[in-house]
Amino acid sequence: MSAERGVLYRKWLDRMMLGMTTLCALIAIAVLLLILGYIAIRGASVLNWNLLTQLPKPIGETGGGIGNAIAGTLILIGLACLVGLPVGIFSGIYLAEFGHGRFGSTLRFLTDVLTGVPSIVIGIFAYTLLVLPMRRFSALAGGFALGVIMIPVVTRTTEEMMKLVPSTLREAALALGAPEWRAILGVVVRSAGTGIATGVMLAIARIAGETAPLLFTALGSRFWPRAIDEPAPALTLQIFNYATGPYEEWHRLAWAGTFVLVALILIINISVRWLTRNPYRTGH
Amino acid sequence: MIKKQKAVSAIQWARCLALTVGVVLLISSLGCSRDRQATISLQGAGATFPYPLYSKWMSEYQRLKPNVRIDYQSIGSGAGIRQIRERVVDFGASDAPMTDQDLNAAPGKILHIPTVIGAVVVTYNLPSVNGELKLERATLAGIFLGEITKWNDAKLRAINSTLALPDTAIVVVHRTDGSGTTNIFTDFLSRSSPLWQQRAGKGTSVNWPVGIGGKGNEGVTGQVKQLPGAIGYVELAYAEQNKLPYALIENPAGEFIKPSIGSTTAAAAGIISAMPEDFRVSLVNAPGRGAYPIAGFTYILIYQNQAHTAKGRALVEFLQWAIREGQEYASAILYAPLPIELVPRVYNKLRTITY
Repeated sequence: MSAERGVLYRKWLDRMMLGMTTLCALIAIAVLLLILGYIAIRGASVLNWNLLTQLPKPIGETGGGIGNAIAGTLILIGLACLVGLPVGIFSGIYLAEFGHGRFGSTLRFLTDVLTGVPSIVIGIFAYTLLVLPMRRFSALAGGFALGVIMIPVVTRTTEEMMKLVPSTLREAALALGAPEWRAILGVVVRSAGTGIATGVMLAIARIAGETAPLLFTALGSRFWPRAIDEPAPALTLQIFNYATGPYEEWHRLAWAGTFVLVALILIINISVRWLTRNPYRTGH
Repeated sequence: MIKKQKAVSAIQWARCLALTVGVVLLISSLGCSRDRQATISLQGAGATFPYPLYSKWMSEYQRLKPNVRIDYQSIGSGAGIRQIRERVVDFGASDAPMTDQDLNAAPGKILHIPTVIGAVVVTYNLPSVNGELKLERATLAGIFLGEITKWNDAKLRAINSTLALPDTAIVVVHRTDGSGTTNIFTDFLSRSSPLWQQRAGKGTSVNWPVGIGGKGNEGVTGQVKQLPGAIGYVELAYAEQNKLPYALIENPAGEFIKPSIGSTTAAAAGIISAMPEDFRVSLVNAPGRGAYPIAGFTYILIYQNQAHTAKGRALVEFLQWAIREGQEYASAILYAPLPIELVPRVYNKLRTITY
């Protein structure tokens, strides 16, 4: 009798806990779906070809778009990659291959600290380093700030991915007479390639949505981007301006911009999944 | 084998991306450097409040002068002052005049060019009340000091006898971020109440005795819309665009003035005789009949000695256009234009700029 009750109780508890965890998981997904759905409903209804390809128009005129902001964001991402990828990947290689001593662990710690630095601080850093001496806001300064934000993310993923490569592979390369640099670049980095690419894509997804570091660097512009030493438009800055303005038309454009930005980041994230889907499965 | 190919393709993919972006950058920078000599680019940054109007002006002006490219970005008044001081931009913009300390710290003499006038309105959420709420200066200060806590307070009823004011608690909503709007509003409260002056004073952000915060005009607008019994202050354009009710405010002449483009321009007209040479003046409690008491100029900040001849000339010509022809565009998007008597004085000031 009591044994049966114990079983019933345990079954009940099991169901209860299962239900609660399921509920929490659903809530987590629901929040994401609500946000995405709301943005899609508000944004997609405004979306059209002109919006994606035209320059913004001043208030009181119909039409106009965010084409320059989309182009600006892509250019800023490109510049950020030029700054962030070489430094990030090479320092990741250093940490994985040579960073075993005290210097390495200090470096690792500092990289983690850099991850936690608020992005606006990095924006001010870029402002002091580039904007003030050049006496102008520029896409270059914006790209630099975003690149610095990318560095720690890329560094740590590169390191982690390279550590996953079995040491037997490296040993095999060395045993075949390959010099160390060849073994690292040709075997270890190459094997960790997919993982490193994932880190890169995640870093891009992270910076694509940044506003704060661009406020005092890229500044924003109502023109098409022309040169990297001139202020550049960016989706996030445009959304910020439009969302805080008093006009209904601007709010609609802000929603459209948000939709485009989220779509851009989702595409990047999904392409990461797609790139990384197989390697660990087909081997079996 | 499959594993390896995947890995290689991923790296190539990343490489392709970097390469494409690089090529795009190169082309865009090459393709545009040619027409760069012909066009003059001017960059401005600063106050958020006039951003929609300035964008409109610059776009209209480009139709007249296609070779002059002017851009303006809203980064806030404080940042605008900082950027012009550092000479990072060709012109700055601010809702509050620069302090003497700021002016002395600048590497050259900076002129204040008033462009339009902004009004701060007191908005509220009382669904049951139809009709116009009137607020005396002392009463308004009392509400923001937390001394008057109910909408049916005797002081409010005395002046609004025709309204059925409910027994609802007053919820004060203020800005949490530093802002020129707050500066104008707290300037008004300081001049209306010695106690306010002593407790909170005036500034772009102050120590609020009571109330809840909202970020930006849109934040305050949102809070007031959601909370019955709320009272807050926003720029005129926000109240108009969001169809918020706003109170009539007592001016020094004892009139209750409805905020509007007309009554805001009247405030500036009232102060002309007392206008200092450098235009740095507050429009709060401006004298004159029909003058709305919570208003202020918004300025463009420009060096008197322009380092670059062509740019300097283009900038002065644009500003001359803005304070004359440009004023027509102001009221359509809810900015109060400069009083007509002031325009020649600003124009003459612009003529003192050397380039």
